[in-house]
Order: sequence, then structure tokens, then C-alpha cells
Amino acid sequence: MASDSPIASRKVVVHLRATGDAPILKQAKFKIAGTDKFSKVIDFLRRQLHRETLFVYVNSAFSPSPDELVNDLYDNFGFDGKLVVNYACSMAWG
Amino acid sequence: MASNQATCDGSLSLIDFQIAANDFAEKWKKFNSAYPEWLWIDCSNRLGFAAHGVIDGYLSLQNVFIRRSLEEERDEGGCNDDEEPFDNATLVCIVPVMMEINIISMSYTALRTGFQCSTSMYRIPEHPYLNRPWYMLHPCGTSEWMKLLLVGVDNSMATNGTERYMISWFSVVGQVFGLKLPFEMLKSIG
Repeated sequence: MASDSPIASRKVVVHLRATGDAPILKQAKFKIAGTDKFSKVIDFLRRQLHRETLFVYVNSAFSPSPDELVNDLYDNFGFDGKLVVNYACSMAWG
Repeated sequence: MASNQATCDGSLSLIDFQIAANDFAEKWKKFNSAYPEWLWIDCSNRLGFAAHGVIDGYLSLQNVFIRRSLEEERDEGGCNDDEEPFDNATLVCIVPVMMEINIISMSYTALRTGFQCSTSMYRIPEHPYLNRPWYMLHPCGTSEWMKLLLVGVDNSMATNGTERYMISWFSVVGQVFGLKLPFEMLKSIG
């Protein structure tokens, strides 16, 4: 659950959900500073999965821009005290 | 009438594209008023399509600033035929496609005519309506990741899936062109 601290300093719980043939992380939930950008989540996944190319999206509906703030994403799309982030390994453009 | 194709295989029929494109343009106007509007360019009379009752056209966005990084990415490669040889496959991808040179357009029918497939992200094919080369984001693979974005769509609500398609799709391809969707627009498909 996101803490009740002031928005600027609060932590947001991110729930990472694997889709398709993506590996499931041992720890699927973690806290991240709300002031961090979404790119930090993407970079974390890249490091954990050892893959440069990932398809990362929110609520099984859209792919946020990497420069969006986690706070903003949580405020708009979070529920049950967390932000659900899906990831897949297949992202082909051609 | 909208089909449920958009919710099944990640592709979009021509009729669904027109429905989704109009809905997208309306929502863009409502939620993103700081930007110019997407305009539907009617090409129904092109090549006698009107005689067969086929509505044809594309969405166009003009007078927008394209961030510098996009230009730099292009310069870095991906469009050089010497480095990225085409394979000989001719594909028919039934998904929208984003094209850009000063004007950004979302079209559909170019993909029905087939084109050579490249391993690069960008292609420079001829625009289906303007008949000159444009940068195009390669559509191969689009239906695969669109399936992921449409997982939660109820197939019995086909129209909802069609309208959601364009917004979900644009959330991905728009980033490549430096265009973001406002949260209000993204929430409209939630």
C-alpha cells in the first residue's frame, strides 16, 4: 500500500506481473519512491531479466512513457494500494 | 458495425479502424486541447473506392513539434538499406500504422497492399495516399503486443474493444514520435 506520507516523499508499491513467456520474478512486489520515473521500473526489470528489449505496460491496457512519475501513475491507475505493471519479453517491430 | 476482431487477435479491420480513429480523434480533442486536432482526411474517391461503397481515409496531425531525439535515432541507423537488408517476405498486417514527415498520419490501407519486410524499426515506404516517401514505424509484431493490451477486453462488448484499441496502440507508438496521451484519455479505456 502506498504510505500516507506526503505525496512528494511517499513510496509506491509496484506489483510486477509476468505475461506470456516472461520469467516470473521471485519478488513480484517492491516499493519505489513516487518521485522516481517509470523508467526506473523498466531498468529494474531489464536488470532482473537480463533483457534489453521488454514490453512494459500498466493495468493490461497501455504503455506509459518512461518519463512519467510513478506517483502520477499510481494516483491515476493504482488500485488496492499498488500499481500493477505487466511485462512481456516479446516486443518486435519488424 | 464494429467487429470483435480487435479483441481476439490484436488486429483491426478497416471498418473498425475508421470507428476507432474517429473515437480517438474526438477523445484527443476533448482531453488534449493543447495540441492540434487529429483530422480525418477522406480519400473515398481515390481509385474509385466510392463506387464500391468503401469509406477510405486516414487521420492526420499537423503542426506538432517532434522532439530532437527522434531525429537523432533515425540518424543513428535502422533505415540504411545497406546495413539492414530487406528480406523478401511480403506481409499483410491488418493493424494501424503511424507515418511521419512534418505531418503525422495514422493510416490503414497501406498495410493491406503488402510491402517488403525489413529488420529495421523504421521504413520509408510510399505513403498510401500522398504518394511520397514517409517514415513509417514498422507494424510487424503490432498484433502480438496489442493482444497483450486487449487481454481484459470483454469480447461481448466489441465496440468497447475497438475504441480501446487505438488508445492502447497509440500509448506505444506515440512514444516513438514523442507524443504522449493525457492520463484522462488513458483512463477513458479503463
